[in-house]
Amino acid sequence: MSLQQAQPISALLDPATVQSIADEVWPSLVGDGEAFVPVPVAPPAEVVSAWVTITGPWSGSVVLTCAPATAQALTENVLMTRPPTVVDDEDVADALGELANVLGGNIKSVLPGESKLGLPQIGSAPTRGRLDDVCALVGQWRGNFLTITVQGAAPAQHSSGTEVPQ
Amino acid sequence: MRALVIDDSRAMRRIVGTILKDFGYEVREAADGRLALDVLEEGFVPDLCCIDWNMPVMDGLQFVFAVRANPVYRQVTLMMVTTESETGQIVKALAAGAHEYLIKPFTADAMRDKLALLGLLPEGVTA
Amino acid sequence: MTLTATSFDWVRQLVHRESAIVLQPGKEYLVEARLLPMAQQRGLSGVSELVESVRKTPDPAVTRRIVEALTTNETSWFRDGDPFTAFTGTVLPQLLAARRPDERLQIWSAACSSGQEAYTIAMLLSDALPHAATRVSITATDLSRQMVERTRAGRFSQLEVNRGLPASMLVRHFTRAGNEWEISPALRRMITTSECNLAAPLPRLGPFDVVYLRNVLIYFDLPTKQQILTRVRQIMRPDGWLFLGAAETTLGVDDNWERVVLGRGSAYRPRKGA
Repeated sequence: MSLQQAQPISALLDPATVQSIADEVWPSLVGDGEAFVPVPVAPPAEVVSAWVTITGPWSGSVVLTCAPATAQALTENVLMTRPPTVVDDEDVADALGELANVLGGNIKSVLPGESKLGLPQIGSAPTRGRLDDVCALVGQWRGNFLTITVQGAAPAQHSSGTEVPQ
Repeated sequence: MRALVIDDSRAMRRIVGTILKDFGYEVREAADGRLALDVLEEGFVPDLCCIDWNMPVMDGLQFVFAVRANPVYRQVTLMMVTTESETGQIVKALAAGAHEYLIKPFTADAMRDKLALLGLLPEGVTA
Repeated sequence: MTLTATSFDWVRQLVHRESAIVLQPGKEYLVEARLLPMAQQRGLSGVSELVESVRKTPDPAVTRRIVEALTTNETSWFRDGDPFTAFTGTVLPQLLAARRPDERLQIWSAACSSGQEAYTIAMLLSDALPHAATRVSITATDLSRQMVERTRAGRFSQLEVNRGLPASMLVRHFTRAGNEWEISPALRRMITTSECNLAAPLPRLGPFDVVYLRNVLIYFDLPTKQQILTRVRQIMRPDGWLFLGAAETTLGVDDNWERVVLGRGSAYRPRKGA
């Protein structure tokens, strides 16, 4: 596989398309009436990311990033649990991973050619590739910092995440 | 009526399972195609399988091939429930023998509509 | 969040007045998400500004768009099933037998909304008839210009194509356009769209062999329902067919129709001598 990307993601995908995908994903997975709103808020001190890789004519990752507490709250919504039920790390990895999976799958289908979707991973976001090979949506869910980033693969990929345990 | 929900995501299994239970289904789960075949072989032959595509060990497409190759499971309705949504993927799944295809993200109403199309919406559930 | 509590309250009351839908507290984020694009399109910085501008200068078109943005749900393809299986199974064969081969069948989707009904009919015809485009014309009308334009465009979101559209029809009759799906040009050409207010004298349309008037009479009072049914009957062929919504009937509204049972549903035909 050629290391040189045919085109940067900015030529293949626009933020409005990613937003319209998020507009469909949120009510379905996070709950009726829930939304990812593209109005930036201050980033938190600590973040966690979930992502899926796309491998094809364009290769990279679709990365969801938010604070750990937001990841927790998202998970409670996705799993439809309420206190006193406690969600654990495995639940968070699973729920956040599935969000990344659905976002990633829909983004993949907008890209040209045939691509493969990797299984979800969670941890620190993968290193970005070329600066122009990024399509980022910075926004919030319920007032909490959340970003959706479609980023090209870095030339020397070091995976710093763990695959979601099966 | 019985359903088998096959997805490597526990969250998705729960979401799909809850919708189906609300429709009156008895629901079992499996985390990949291989485990799903085990459930069938144990004797739980469902009316409906909801099948994710991308799973470890045995993916959804392989599961469809396996089930359709076995005449014992002729009456089992197979519906993909997946984020794979290119035309080519849908064609591949239908050609392999899947009966229907639900794209993620979906709503409970969308699931209801697909079940109505398949004649698998239990009596008393308003379409 | 650009939405204030008073603005949310105003929107809540508006939506309830116009659509009977209740927006519970907690849905502020929904309102923000759905109305922010509209506010930004108008060069306003946020949703509360949008609300203030509409309160200061009432504009029915904007108010309607606000309500639509908050209450639109996807409509189904093949909604309720029977009116479509009955169409191909019973109605179409009878019409083809009763008409000359050179006569085009005229079909009307009289409250077409975003177009699912009209394109469902187009897909069925295309699958049932060779050269369907030369044998049938489909007219799709709606009160809303936005809906008419949506029908004309024939583009649908992922969520919309999930709603009761058989996957085999999706792959045969649609191609992907970004994150959306677009109906094939051949099917789009079968449909003529225009705006039409059913509650007013109708423009020159028809005469129609089949009319789909589904789930729209419920929005009108009894006298208007009667007027609409009369107007519709006047532009139908005497041996034509009318399909109403699954829970609707002409009984108690208009005597000039004969009910025909079709499968688990029914259709209505102009009563002879009416």
